[in-house]
Amino acid sequence: MTPPTIIVCIKDVPDPEAPGSSYEIHSDTKRVVPIGIPPVINPYDQNALELAARLKDRWGGKVIALNMSEKAVAPILKKALAVGADELVLLEDPAFKGLTSHATAQVLSAGIQKLGTFDLIVTGRQAADWDSGQVGLLIAGILKIPGINLVQKVELQDGSITVERLRRNAYEVITASLPALVTVGSEVGDLRLTSLKAIQDARKKPVTIWRSADLDLAPTLLRKRNLRAIIPPPSQARRCLFITGKSIEEKAENLALRLRQDRVI
Amino acid sequence: MGKQRILVVVEQRENGESDPVTFELLKSARDLSLQGDETVCACIFGSVAAPLADEISYYADEVYLIDEPFLSTFLPDVYASAAAALCRTIAPRTVLMGHSYENREMAPKLACEMENDLITDCVKIERDVETGALLCTKPVYGGNAHAIFQLDAEPQMVTLRPKSTEALEKGSLQGVTIPFRYKLSPSLELPKSLCIVPGAETVSLTQAEAVVAGGRGFKTAESIQQLKRLVEVLRKHFNTVELGASRALVDEGLLPHSRQVGQTGEIVSPQLYIAVAISGAAQHMAGVVGSKRIVAINKDPEASIFEASDYGIVGRHEDIVPALIKQLEAMP
Repeated sequence: MTPPTIIVCIKDVPDPEAPGSSYEIHSDTKRVVPIGIPPVINPYDQNALELAARLKDRWGGKVIALNMSEKAVAPILKKALAVGADELVLLEDPAFKGLTSHATAQVLSAGIQKLGTFDLIVTGRQAADWDSGQVGLLIAGILKIPGINLVQKVELQDGSITVERLRRNAYEVITASLPALVTVGSEVGDLRLTSLKAIQDARKKPVTIWRSADLDLAPTLLRKRNLRAIIPPPSQARRCLFITGKSIEEKAENLALRLRQDRVI
Repeated sequence: MGKQRILVVVEQRENGESDPVTFELLKSARDLSLQGDETVCACIFGSVAAPLADEISYYADEVYLIDEPFLSTFLPDVYASAAAALCRTIAPRTVLMGHSYENREMAPKLACEMENDLITDCVKIERDVETGALLCTKPVYGGNAHAIFQLDAEPQMVTLRPKSTEALEKGSLQGVTIPFRYKLSPSLELPKSLCIVPGAETVSLTQAEAVVAGGRGFKTAESIQQLKRLVEVLRKHFNTVELGASRALVDEGLLPHSRQVGQTGEIVSPQLYIAVAISGAAQHMAGVVGSKRIVAINKDPEASIFEASDYGIVGRHEDIVPALIKQLEAMP
Protein backbone atom coordinates (compact mmCIF):
# COMPACT_ATOMS: atom_id res chain seq x y z
CA MET A 1 0.00 0.00 0.00
CA THR A 2 1.38 3.40 -0.98
CA PRO A 3 1.48 5.56 2.18
CA PRO A 4 -2.06 7.00 2.32
CA THR A 5 -3.32 10.49 3.09
CA ILE A 6 -6.17 10.28 5.58
CA ILE A 7 -8.44 13.17 6.54
CA VAL A 8 -10.30 12.99 9.87
CA CYS A 9 -13.17 15.40 10.51
CA ILE A 10 -13.39 16.37 14.17
CA LYS A 11 -15.43 18.73 16.30
CA ASP A 12 -15.57 19.64 19.95
CA VAL A 13 -18.65 18.95 22.09
CA PRO A 14 -19.47 19.31 25.78
CA ASP A 15 -18.33 16.07 27.45
CA PRO A 16 -21.32 13.76 26.89
CA GLU A 17 -20.42 11.77 29.99
CA ALA A 18 -21.51 14.74 32.12
CA PRO A 19 -24.73 14.35 34.14
CA GLY A 20 -27.94 15.61 32.56
CA SER A 21 -28.28 18.32 35.20
CA SER A 22 -25.31 20.16 33.69
CA TYR A 23 -27.28 21.17 30.59
CA GLU A 24 -29.19 24.43 30.92
CA ILE A 25 -31.89 25.02 28.39
CA HIS A 26 -32.17 28.66 27.32
CA SER A 27 -35.50 28.77 25.53
CA ASP A 28 -35.24 32.49 24.78
CA THR A 29 -31.97 32.21 22.86
CA LYS A 30 -32.77 28.66 21.68
CA ARG A 31 -29.54 27.30 23.06
CA VAL A 32 -28.40 24.43 25.22
CA VAL A 33 -25.76 25.77 27.57
CA PRO A 34 -23.48 23.27 29.26
CA ILE A 35 -22.54 24.40 32.76
CA GLY A 36 -19.15 23.38 34.06
CA ILE A 37 -18.65 20.70 31.41
CA PRO A 38 -15.27 20.77 29.71
CA PRO A 39 -15.31 20.49 25.92
CA VAL A 40 -13.83 17.31 24.47
CA ILE A 41 -13.27 16.04 20.96
CA ASN A 42 -16.55 14.32 20.07
CA PRO A 43 -16.10 10.71 21.29
CA TYR A 44 -16.90 9.13 17.92
CA ASP A 45 -14.42 11.53 16.27
CA GLN A 46 -11.85 10.26 18.79
CA ASN A 47 -12.58 6.76 17.45
CA ALA A 48 -12.07 8.15 13.95
CA LEU A 49 -8.68 9.57 14.98
CA GLU A 50 -7.71 6.21 16.47
CA LEU A 51 -8.57 4.39 13.26
CA ALA A 52 -6.52 6.88 11.24
CA ALA A 53 -3.59 6.59 13.65
CA ARG A 54 -3.64 2.78 13.35
CA LEU A 55 -3.69 2.94 9.57
CA LYS A 56 -0.76 5.35 9.73
CA ASP A 57 1.09 3.01 12.13
CA ARG A 58 0.73 0.28 9.53
CA TRP A 59 1.15 2.08 6.22
CA GLY A 60 2.83 5.37 7.03
CA GLY A 61 1.48 8.36 5.18
CA LYS A 62 -0.19 11.42 6.59
CA VAL A 63 -3.19 12.21 8.79
CA ILE A 64 -4.89 15.61 8.56
CA ALA A 65 -7.45 16.65 11.18
CA LEU A 66 -10.12 19.01 9.88
CA ASN A 67 -12.58 21.10 11.87
CA MET A 68 -15.27 23.62 10.99
CA SER A 69 -16.62 26.18 13.42
CA GLU A 70 -17.57 29.81 13.92
CA LYS A 71 -14.74 30.01 16.48
CA ALA A 72 -12.39 27.07 16.91
CA VAL A 73 -11.66 25.64 20.33
CA ALA A 74 -8.05 25.14 19.30
CA PRO A 75 -6.60 23.85 22.61
CA ILE A 76 -9.02 20.92 22.56
CA LEU A 77 -8.70 20.21 18.84
CA LYS A 78 -4.89 20.29 19.04
CA LYS A 79 -5.07 17.05 20.99
CA ALA A 80 -5.46 15.43 17.57
CA LEU A 81 -1.85 16.43 16.82
CA ALA A 82 -0.64 14.59 19.92
CA VAL A 83 -2.33 11.32 18.93
CA GLY A 84 -1.07 10.94 15.39
CA ALA A 85 -2.42 13.73 13.21
CA ASP A 86 0.33 15.55 11.27
CA GLU A 87 -1.55 18.77 10.76
CA LEU A 88 -4.69 20.50 11.92
CA VAL A 89 -6.80 22.57 9.55
CA LEU A 90 -9.41 24.89 11.05
CA LEU A 91 -12.20 26.18 8.82
CA GLU A 92 -13.17 29.09 10.99
CA ASP A 93 -15.57 31.90 10.18
CA PRO A 94 -18.50 33.61 11.92
CA ALA A 95 -20.50 32.76 8.79
CA PHE A 96 -20.22 29.07 9.77
CA LYS A 97 -22.45 29.55 12.81
CA GLY A 98 -25.57 27.39 13.13
CA LEU A 99 -25.35 25.72 9.73
CA THR A 100 -27.56 22.84 8.63
CA SER A 101 -25.92 19.43 8.29
CA HIS A 102 -25.92 19.84 4.53
CA ALA A 103 -24.23 23.26 4.70
CA THR A 104 -21.69 21.94 7.21
CA ALA A 105 -20.86 19.16 4.78
CA GLN A 106 -20.52 21.74 1.97
CA VAL A 107 -17.95 23.73 3.97
CA LEU A 108 -15.99 20.65 5.02
CA SER A 109 -16.03 19.39 1.42
CA ALA A 110 -14.68 22.73 0.20
CA GLY A 111 -11.90 22.44 2.78
CA ILE A 112 -11.12 18.89 1.67
CA GLN A 113 -10.99 19.94 -1.97
CA LYS A 114 -8.55 22.72 -1.08
CA LEU A 115 -6.35 20.18 0.73
CA GLY A 116 -5.84 18.32 -2.52
CA THR A 117 -5.58 14.60 -3.10
CA PHE A 118 -6.38 12.11 -0.36
CA ASP A 119 -7.19 8.42 0.00
CA LEU A 120 -9.61 8.16 2.88
CA ILE A 121 -11.86 10.39 4.98
CA VAL A 122 -12.91 9.16 8.42
CA THR A 123 -15.65 10.81 10.48
CA GLY A 124 -17.47 9.89 13.68
CA ARG A 125 -20.89 8.37 13.14
CA GLN A 126 -22.58 11.34 14.86
CA ALA A 127 -21.71 14.25 17.12
CA ALA A 128 -22.84 14.25 20.73
CA ASP A 129 -24.43 17.71 20.51
CA TRP A 130 -26.96 17.62 17.65
CA ASP A 131 -26.83 13.83 17.16
CA SER A 132 -27.62 14.30 13.49
CA GLY A 133 -25.40 11.56 12.07
CA GLN A 134 -25.33 12.69 8.48
CA VAL A 135 -22.44 15.10 7.84
CA GLY A 136 -19.96 12.34 6.95
CA LEU A 137 -22.20 10.69 4.38
CA LEU A 138 -23.16 14.09 2.95
CA ILE A 139 -19.48 14.90 2.43
CA ALA A 140 -19.11 11.66 0.48
CA GLY A 141 -22.16 12.58 -1.58
CA ILE A 142 -20.88 16.09 -2.33
CA LEU A 143 -17.40 14.83 -3.26
CA LYS A 144 -18.99 11.96 -5.25
CA ILE A 145 -16.92 9.28 -3.54
CA PRO A 146 -18.16 6.06 -1.90
CA GLY A 147 -19.47 6.68 1.65
CA ILE A 148 -19.98 3.77 4.03
CA ASN A 149 -21.67 4.20 7.39
CA LEU A 150 -21.00 2.52 10.77
CA VAL A 151 -17.82 0.74 9.89
CA GLN A 152 -16.12 -1.44 12.50
CA LYS A 153 -13.05 -2.57 10.57
CA VAL A 154 -11.03 -1.19 7.66
CA GLU A 155 -8.47 -2.80 5.36
CA LEU A 156 -6.69 -0.59 2.86
CA GLN A 157 -5.31 -1.82 -0.44
CA ASP A 158 -3.90 0.19 -3.31
CA GLY A 159 -6.92 1.84 -4.90
CA SER A 160 -9.53 0.07 -2.80
CA ILE A 161 -10.86 -0.42 0.68
CA THR A 162 -12.56 -3.39 2.33
CA VAL A 163 -14.66 -2.68 5.41
CA GLU A 164 -17.05 -4.33 7.81
CA ARG A 165 -20.28 -2.36 8.05
CA LEU A 166 -22.51 -2.89 11.07
CA ARG A 167 -26.00 -4.24 10.51
CA ARG A 168 -28.56 -4.74 13.26
CA ASN A 169 -27.70 -8.39 13.90
CA ALA A 170 -24.72 -8.86 11.66
CA TYR A 171 -21.96 -7.16 9.78
CA GLU A 172 -21.51 -6.86 6.05
CA VAL A 173 -18.20 -7.02 4.23
CA ILE A 174 -18.06 -4.29 1.62
CA THR A 175 -15.44 -3.21 -0.85
CA ALA A 176 -15.21 0.17 -2.54
CA SER A 177 -12.77 2.17 -4.60
CA LEU A 178 -10.51 4.84 -3.10
CA PRO A 179 -10.80 7.66 -2.30
CA ALA A 180 -13.67 6.82 0.03
CA LEU A 181 -15.28 7.96 3.27
CA VAL A 182 -16.20 5.84 6.27
CA THR A 183 -18.00 6.77 9.48
CA VAL A 184 -17.09 4.98 12.68
CA GLY A 185 -18.22 4.47 16.28
CA SER A 186 -16.70 2.97 19.37
CA GLU A 187 -16.27 -0.43 17.64
CA VAL A 188 -12.98 0.69 16.07
CA GLY A 189 -11.40 1.23 19.47
CA ASP A 190 -10.64 3.91 22.05
CA LEU A 191 -8.29 6.75 21.25
CA ARG A 192 -4.75 5.99 22.39
CA LEU A 193 -3.19 7.74 25.33
CA THR A 194 -0.68 10.39 24.52
CA SER A 195 2.81 10.81 25.92
CA LEU A 196 4.53 13.94 27.15
CA LYS A 197 6.89 13.71 24.19
CA ALA A 198 4.00 13.44 21.75
CA ILE A 199 2.43 16.54 23.28
CA GLN A 200 5.73 18.41 22.92
CA ASP A 201 6.15 17.24 19.33
CA ALA A 202 2.60 18.31 18.58
CA ARG A 203 3.54 21.93 19.28
CA LYS A 204 5.76 21.91 16.20
CA LYS A 205 3.04 20.60 13.90
CA PRO A 206 1.28 23.05 11.60
CA VAL A 207 -2.13 24.54 12.34
CA THR A 208 -3.76 26.19 9.32
CA ILE A 209 -6.77 28.51 9.46
CA TRP A 210 -8.95 29.07 6.42
CA ARG A 211 -11.83 31.55 6.34
CA SER A 212 -14.94 31.35 4.22
CA ALA A 213 -13.26 33.56 1.60
CA ASP A 214 -10.35 31.10 1.33
CA LEU A 215 -12.74 28.37 0.21
CA ASP A 216 -14.60 27.86 -3.02
CA LEU A 217 -18.02 28.39 -1.44
CA ALA A 218 -21.10 30.13 -2.78
CA PRO A 219 -22.64 32.17 0.06
CA THR A 220 -26.03 30.65 -0.74
CA LEU A 221 -24.68 27.27 0.35
CA LEU A 222 -24.35 28.46 3.94
CA ARG A 223 -27.91 27.59 4.98
CA LYS A 224 -28.69 28.06 8.68
CA ARG A 225 -30.66 25.48 10.59
CA ASN A 226 -34.18 26.71 11.20
CA LEU A 227 -34.68 26.13 14.89
CA ARG A 228 -38.18 26.87 16.17
CA ALA A 229 -37.50 26.06 19.80
CA ILE A 230 -35.31 24.29 22.31
CA ILE A 231 -37.33 22.69 25.07
CA PRO A 232 -36.58 20.46 28.05
CA PRO A 233 -37.08 16.76 27.31
CA PRO A 234 -40.39 15.35 28.55
CA SER A 235 -40.09 14.07 32.08
CA GLN A 236 -39.33 10.38 32.32
CA ALA A 237 -39.80 10.45 36.06
CA ARG A 238 -41.58 7.55 37.71
CA ARG A 239 -42.31 7.27 41.37
CA CYS A 240 -39.68 4.82 42.52
CA LEU A 241 -40.66 2.51 45.32
CA PHE A 242 -37.49 1.40 47.05
CA ILE A 243 -37.83 -2.25 47.99
CA THR A 244 -36.75 -2.88 51.56
CA GLY A 245 -36.20 -6.01 53.58
CA LYS A 246 -34.17 -7.34 56.49
CA SER A 247 -32.01 -9.42 54.20
CA ILE A 248 -31.10 -9.57 50.52
CA GLU A 249 -33.37 -12.61 50.19
CA GLU A 250 -36.26 -10.67 51.67
CA LYS A 251 -35.67 -7.75 49.31
CA ALA A 252 -35.66 -10.09 46.34
CA GLU A 253 -38.84 -11.73 47.58
CA ASN A 254 -40.56 -8.39 48.11
CA LEU A 255 -39.64 -7.28 44.59
CA ALA A 256 -40.97 -10.50 43.09
CA LEU A 257 -44.19 -10.14 45.05
CA ARG A 258 -44.64 -6.57 43.85
CA LEU A 259 -44.20 -7.66 40.24
CA ARG A 260 -46.70 -10.46 40.80
CA GLN A 261 -49.17 -7.96 42.29
CA ASP A 262 -48.74 -5.81 39.20
CA ARG A 263 -49.39 -8.94 37.07
CA VAL A 264 -46.08 -8.44 35.31
CA ILE A 265 -44.87 -11.93 36.22
CA MET B 1 -52.98 21.39 -8.53
CA GLY B 2 -53.69 18.02 -6.95
CA LYS B 3 -53.31 17.15 -3.33
CA GLN B 4 -49.89 17.23 -1.72
CA ARG B 5 -48.30 13.85 -1.03
CA ILE B 6 -46.65 12.40 2.05
CA LEU B 7 -44.34 9.51 1.23
CA VAL B 8 -43.56 6.72 3.70
CA VAL B 9 -40.59 4.50 2.91
CA VAL B 10 -41.67 1.02 3.99
CA GLU B 11 -39.15 -0.49 6.38
CA GLN B 12 -38.45 -4.14 5.68
CA ARG B 13 -37.01 -6.92 7.77
CA GLU B 14 -34.45 -9.37 6.39
CA ASN B 15 -37.26 -11.90 5.76
CA GLY B 16 -39.10 -9.43 3.49
CA GLU B 17 -41.85 -8.63 5.97
CA SER B 18 -42.43 -5.07 7.00
CA ASP B 19 -40.92 -3.85 10.24
CA PRO B 20 -43.39 -2.60 12.89
CA VAL B 21 -42.02 0.93 12.48
CA THR B 22 -43.66 1.03 9.03
CA PHE B 23 -47.10 1.24 10.60
CA GLU B 24 -45.92 3.97 12.97
CA LEU B 25 -44.66 5.95 9.98
CA LEU B 26 -48.01 5.40 8.27
CA LYS B 27 -49.80 6.62 11.42
CA SER B 28 -47.67 9.77 11.45
CA ALA B 29 -48.38 10.28 7.75
CA ARG B 30 -52.10 9.71 8.31
CA ASP B 31 -52.17 12.24 11.17
CA LEU B 32 -50.34 14.80 9.04
CA SER B 33 -52.64 14.13 6.09
CA LEU B 34 -55.71 14.83 8.21
CA GLN B 35 -54.20 18.14 9.30
CA GLY B 36 -53.35 19.28 5.79
CA ASP B 37 -55.65 17.23 3.50
CA GLU B 38 -52.79 15.31 1.93
CA THR B 39 -52.44 11.94 0.20
CA VAL B 40 -50.67 9.15 2.11
CA CYS B 41 -48.21 7.31 -0.14
CA ALA B 42 -45.93 4.40 0.62
CA CYS B 43 -43.03 3.02 -1.37
CA ILE B 44 -41.62 -0.49 -1.28
CA PHE B 45 -38.28 -1.54 -2.70
CA GLY B 46 -37.57 -5.15 -3.48
CA SER B 47 -37.95 -8.03 -5.81
CA VAL B 48 -41.16 -10.03 -5.67
CA ALA B 49 -42.56 -7.50 -3.20
CA ALA B 50 -46.11 -7.50 -4.58
CA PRO B 51 -47.64 -9.37 -1.58
CA LEU B 52 -46.19 -6.77 0.74
CA ALA B 53 -47.62 -4.01 -1.48
CA ASP B 54 -51.07 -5.64 -1.17
CA GLU B 55 -50.72 -5.61 2.61
CA ILE B 56 -49.60 -1.97 2.74
CA SER B 57 -52.46 -0.88 0.49
CA TYR B 58 -54.78 -1.21 3.52
CA TYR B 59 -52.85 1.62 5.15
CA ALA B 60 -52.18 4.10 2.33
CA ASP B 61 -53.83 5.87 -0.60
CA GLU B 62 -51.06 5.06 -3.05
CA VAL B 63 -48.45 2.30 -2.83
CA TYR B 64 -45.48 2.67 -5.16
CA LEU B 65 -43.87 -0.67 -5.85
CA ILE B 66 -40.31 -0.53 -7.11
CA ASP B 67 -39.80 -4.18 -7.93
CA GLU B 68 -36.43 -4.91 -9.54
CA PRO B 69 -34.03 -7.86 -9.17
CA PHE B 70 -31.19 -5.55 -8.08
CA LEU B 71 -33.28 -4.32 -5.14
CA SER B 72 -33.52 -7.76 -3.53
CA THR B 73 -30.80 -6.91 -1.01
CA PHE B 74 -30.34 -3.63 0.77
CA LEU B 75 -27.78 -1.39 -0.93
CA PRO B 76 -28.07 2.08 0.55
CA ASP B 77 -26.78 3.91 -2.53
CA VAL B 78 -29.15 2.09 -4.87
CA TYR B 79 -32.13 2.46 -2.54
CA ALA B 80 -31.39 6.17 -2.12
CA SER B 81 -31.17 6.67 -5.89
CA ALA B 82 -34.41 4.77 -6.41
CA ALA B 83 -36.14 6.84 -3.71
CA ALA B 84 -34.77 10.03 -5.27
CA ALA B 85 -36.10 8.99 -8.68
CA LEU B 86 -39.53 8.42 -7.17
CA CYS B 87 -39.37 11.77 -5.34
CA ARG B 88 -38.55 13.57 -8.56
CA THR B 89 -41.58 11.94 -10.20
CA ILE B 90 -44.29 12.23 -7.56
CA ALA B 91 -42.87 15.34 -5.79
CA PRO B 92 -43.88 14.55 -2.21
CA ARG B 93 -44.06 17.42 0.23
CA THR B 94 -42.81 15.18 3.05
CA VAL B 95 -40.81 11.94 3.19
CA LEU B 96 -40.94 9.77 6.34
CA MET B 97 -38.40 7.02 7.04
CA GLY B 98 -37.69 4.83 10.07
CA HIS B 99 -34.55 5.60 12.06
CA SER B 100 -33.06 2.14 11.44
CA TYR B 101 -29.50 0.97 10.82
CA GLU B 102 -30.27 0.93 7.13
CA ASN B 103 -31.78 4.40 6.94
CA ARG B 104 -29.00 5.96 8.98
CA GLU B 105 -27.09 5.46 5.75
CA MET B 106 -29.83 5.60 3.14
CA ALA B 107 -31.59 8.77 4.37
CA PRO B 108 -28.55 11.10 4.25
CA LYS B 109 -27.77 9.77 0.77
CA LEU B 110 -31.31 10.55 -0.32
CA ALA B 111 -31.02 14.01 1.25
CA CYS B 112 -27.80 14.57 -0.67
CA GLU B 113 -29.41 13.58 -3.97
CA MET B 114 -32.35 15.86 -3.27
CA GLU B 115 -29.97 18.65 -2.11
CA ASN B 116 -32.25 19.34 0.80
CA ASP B 117 -32.31 19.09 4.59
CA LEU B 118 -33.01 15.96 6.57
CA ILE B 119 -33.79 15.80 10.29
CA THR B 120 -32.87 12.44 11.80
CA ASP B 121 -34.18 10.53 14.82
CA CYS B 122 -37.34 12.59 15.37
CA VAL B 123 -39.81 11.69 18.11
CA LYS B 124 -42.64 13.93 16.93
CA ILE B 125 -43.65 15.66 13.69
CA GLU B 126 -46.39 18.20 13.11
CA ARG B 127 -47.61 20.27 10.21
CA ASP B 128 -47.77 24.04 10.44
CA VAL B 129 -51.04 24.21 8.53
CA GLU B 130 -50.65 27.90 7.66
CA THR B 131 -47.25 27.65 6.01
CA GLY B 132 -47.06 23.94 5.18
CA ALA B 133 -43.78 23.71 7.12
CA LEU B 134 -42.95 20.51 8.95
CA LEU B 135 -42.05 20.86 12.64
CA CYS B 136 -39.72 18.09 13.73
CA THR B 137 -38.98 17.41 17.39
CA LYS B 138 -35.68 15.66 17.92
CA PRO B 139 -33.71 14.80 21.07
CA VAL B 140 -30.32 16.54 21.13
CA TYR B 141 -27.37 16.54 23.53
CA GLY B 142 -27.87 12.86 24.25
CA GLY B 143 -31.55 13.44 25.04
CA ASN B 144 -30.90 16.17 27.59
CA ALA B 145 -32.87 18.64 25.45
CA HIS B 146 -35.35 18.53 22.60
CA ALA B 147 -34.96 20.73 19.53
CA ILE B 148 -37.85 21.63 17.25
CA PHE B 149 -36.62 22.13 13.70
CA GLN B 150 -38.68 23.72 10.98
CA LEU B 151 -38.42 22.29 7.48
CA ASP B 152 -39.82 24.48 4.71
CA ALA B 153 -38.33 23.43 1.39
CA GLU B 154 -39.68 20.26 -0.18
CA PRO B 155 -39.23 17.40 0.10
CA GLN B 156 -39.15 17.69 3.87
CA MET B 157 -37.23 14.58 4.93
CA VAL B 158 -37.19 12.99 8.38
CA THR B 159 -36.31 9.73 10.03
CA LEU B 160 -38.59 8.80 12.90
CA ARG B 161 -37.45 6.98 16.03
CA PRO B 162 -39.27 3.65 16.45
CA LYS B 163 -42.08 3.53 19.03
CA SER B 164 -42.58 7.29 18.97
CA THR B 165 -46.21 6.84 18.01
CA GLU B 166 -48.74 4.01 17.84
CA ALA B 167 -49.31 1.92 14.75
CA LEU B 168 -51.94 2.74 12.14
CA GLU B 169 -54.88 0.34 12.11
CA LYS B 170 -55.38 -1.90 9.12
CA GLY B 171 -58.11 -0.68 6.84
CA SER B 172 -57.62 2.97 7.78
CA LEU B 173 -57.16 3.58 4.09
CA GLN B 174 -57.69 1.53 0.95
CA GLY B 175 -55.20 2.42 -1.72
CA VAL B 176 -53.96 1.36 -5.09
CA THR B 177 -50.63 -0.19 -6.00
CA ILE B 178 -48.68 1.69 -8.65
CA PRO B 179 -45.61 0.06 -10.22
CA PHE B 180 -42.66 2.42 -10.58
CA ARG B 181 -39.79 1.53 -12.89
CA TYR B 182 -36.30 2.47 -11.85
CA LYS B 183 -33.26 1.83 -14.00
CA LEU B 184 -29.87 1.52 -12.36
CA SER B 185 -27.52 4.08 -13.78
CA PRO B 186 -24.49 2.16 -15.10
CA SER B 187 -22.21 5.14 -14.45
CA LEU B 188 -22.66 4.77 -10.71
CA GLU B 189 -19.54 3.32 -9.16
CA LEU B 190 -20.94 1.74 -6.05
CA PRO B 191 -19.52 -0.06 -3.05
CA LYS B 192 -19.93 -3.81 -3.51
CA SER B 193 -21.29 -6.11 -0.85
CA LEU B 194 -19.11 -9.23 -0.56
CA CYS B 195 -21.00 -11.06 2.17
CA ILE B 196 -23.09 -10.65 5.30
CA VAL B 197 -21.73 -12.28 8.43
CA PRO B 198 -24.54 -12.92 10.91
CA GLY B 199 -23.97 -12.23 14.60
CA ALA B 200 -23.09 -15.19 16.80
CA GLU B 201 -26.64 -15.10 18.16
CA THR B 202 -29.88 -13.52 17.00
CA VAL B 203 -31.05 -10.67 19.16
CA SER B 204 -34.57 -9.28 19.11
CA LEU B 205 -34.65 -6.61 21.77
CA THR B 206 -37.40 -4.52 20.22
CA GLN B 207 -39.97 -7.32 20.41
CA ALA B 208 -38.93 -8.74 23.81
CA GLU B 209 -41.52 -8.96 26.61
CA ALA B 210 -38.81 -8.71 29.25
CA VAL B 211 -35.30 -7.26 29.08
CA VAL B 212 -32.47 -7.63 31.59
CA ALA B 213 -29.78 -5.06 30.94
CA GLY B 214 -26.36 -4.59 32.47
CA GLY B 215 -24.24 -1.47 32.75
CA ARG B 216 -20.89 -0.14 33.77
CA GLY B 217 -20.99 -2.10 37.04
CA PHE B 218 -20.07 -5.27 35.13
CA LYS B 219 -16.36 -5.63 34.52
CA THR B 220 -15.85 -9.17 33.28
CA ALA B 221 -17.46 -11.69 30.96
CA GLU B 222 -17.94 -14.00 33.96
CA SER B 223 -20.00 -11.45 35.83
CA ILE B 224 -22.37 -11.24 32.87
CA GLN B 225 -23.15 -14.96 33.24
CA GLN B 226 -25.23 -13.97 36.24
CA LEU B 227 -27.40 -11.73 34.06
CA LYS B 228 -27.80 -14.53 31.54
CA ARG B 229 -29.08 -16.77 34.33
CA LEU B 230 -31.63 -14.10 35.24
CA VAL B 231 -32.71 -14.00 31.58
CA GLU B 232 -33.11 -17.81 31.64
CA VAL B 233 -35.26 -17.88 34.75
CA LEU B 234 -37.48 -15.07 33.43
CA ARG B 235 -38.29 -17.31 30.45
CA LYS B 236 -40.55 -19.16 32.88
CA HIS B 237 -42.70 -16.05 33.08
CA PHE B 238 -42.35 -14.45 29.62
CA ASN B 239 -42.36 -15.77 26.06
CA THR B 240 -39.44 -13.64 24.93
CA VAL B 241 -36.67 -12.38 27.17
CA GLU B 242 -33.51 -10.67 25.95
CA LEU B 243 -30.24 -9.58 27.46
CA GLY B 244 -29.51 -5.88 26.91
CA ALA B 245 -26.65 -3.55 27.69
CA SER B 246 -25.83 0.07 28.25
CA ARG B 247 -23.40 1.75 25.87
CA ALA B 248 -20.62 1.48 28.46
CA LEU B 249 -20.82 -2.31 28.47
CA VAL B 250 -20.83 -2.52 24.68
CA ASP B 251 -17.90 -0.10 24.44
CA GLU B 252 -15.98 -2.39 26.81
CA GLY B 253 -16.56 -5.18 24.31
CA LEU B 254 -18.37 -7.34 26.86
CA LEU B 255 -21.57 -7.59 24.79
CA PRO B 256 -22.21 -7.05 21.04
CA HIS B 257 -23.66 -3.79 19.69
CA SER B 258 -26.87 -5.60 18.79
CA ARG B 259 -27.65 -5.72 22.51
CA GLN B 260 -27.23 -2.00 23.14
CA VAL B 261 -30.31 -0.21 24.44
CA GLY B 262 -30.67 3.54 24.04
CA GLN B 263 -30.36 6.38 21.60
CA THR B 264 -27.65 4.79 19.44
CA GLY B 265 -28.95 1.26 20.03
CA GLU B 266 -32.38 -0.28 20.23
CA ILE B 267 -35.61 1.27 21.52
CA VAL B 268 -37.37 -1.34 23.70
CA SER B 269 -40.85 -1.44 25.21
CA PRO B 270 -41.10 -4.62 27.29
CA GLN B 271 -43.49 -5.46 30.11
CA LEU B 272 -40.50 -5.59 32.42
CA TYR B 273 -37.12 -3.87 32.14
CA ILE B 274 -34.54 -4.75 34.77
CA ALA B 275 -31.60 -2.34 34.75
CA VAL B 276 -28.65 -3.77 36.66
CA ALA B 277 -25.74 -1.49 37.57
CA ILE B 278 -26.84 1.10 35.00
CA SER B 279 -26.50 4.74 36.07
CA GLY B 280 -29.35 6.01 33.90
CA ALA B 281 -27.85 8.49 31.41
CA ALA B 282 -30.42 10.26 29.23
CA GLN B 283 -29.16 8.51 26.08
CA HIS B 284 -29.86 5.13 27.72
CA MET B 285 -33.23 6.05 29.21
CA ALA B 286 -34.34 7.27 25.78
CA GLY B 287 -34.46 3.60 24.81
CA VAL B 288 -36.60 2.33 27.69
CA VAL B 289 -39.33 4.92 28.34
CA GLY B 290 -41.94 2.67 26.74
CA SER B 291 -41.39 -0.11 29.30
CA LYS B 292 -44.39 -1.01 31.47
CA ARG B 293 -42.36 -1.60 34.63
CA ILE B 294 -38.76 -0.56 35.19
CA VAL B 295 -36.74 -2.14 38.00
CA ALA B 296 -33.36 -0.66 38.92
CA ILE B 297 -30.66 -2.45 40.87
CA ASN B 298 -27.76 -0.19 41.76
CA LYS B 299 -25.38 0.17 44.65
CA ASP B 300 -25.49 3.97 44.45
CA PRO B 301 -28.72 5.27 46.04
CA GLU B 302 -28.18 8.58 44.22
CA ALA B 303 -28.01 7.01 40.75
CA SER B 304 -30.36 8.85 38.38
CA ILE B 305 -31.79 5.54 37.16
CA PHE B 306 -33.97 5.40 40.28
CA GLU B 307 -35.77 8.60 39.28
CA ALA B 308 -36.99 6.87 36.14
CA SER B 309 -37.82 3.51 37.73
CA ASP B 310 -40.91 1.98 39.31
CA TYR B 311 -39.00 -0.22 41.74
CA GLY B 312 -35.51 0.13 43.07
CA ILE B 313 -33.19 -2.01 45.13
CA VAL B 314 -30.06 -0.39 46.49
CA GLY B 315 -27.23 -2.88 46.75
CA ARG B 316 -24.51 -4.83 45.01
CA HIS B 317 -25.74 -6.66 41.93
CA GLU B 318 -23.46 -9.58 42.88
CA ASP B 319 -25.71 -10.14 45.91
CA ILE B 320 -29.11 -9.13 44.62
CA VAL B 321 -29.25 -10.81 41.23
CA PRO B 322 -28.61 -14.34 42.60
CA ALA B 323 -31.23 -13.79 45.29
CA LEU B 324 -33.71 -12.62 42.65
CA ILE B 325 -32.93 -15.65 40.46
CA LYS B 326 -33.64 -17.95 43.39
CA GLN B 327 -36.89 -16.17 44.14
CA LEU B 328 -38.12 -16.27 40.54
CA GLU B 329 -37.18 -19.95 40.26
CA ALA B 330 -39.27 -20.76 43.30
CA MET B 331 -42.29 -18.82 42.06
CA PRO B 332 -44.89 -20.84 40.21
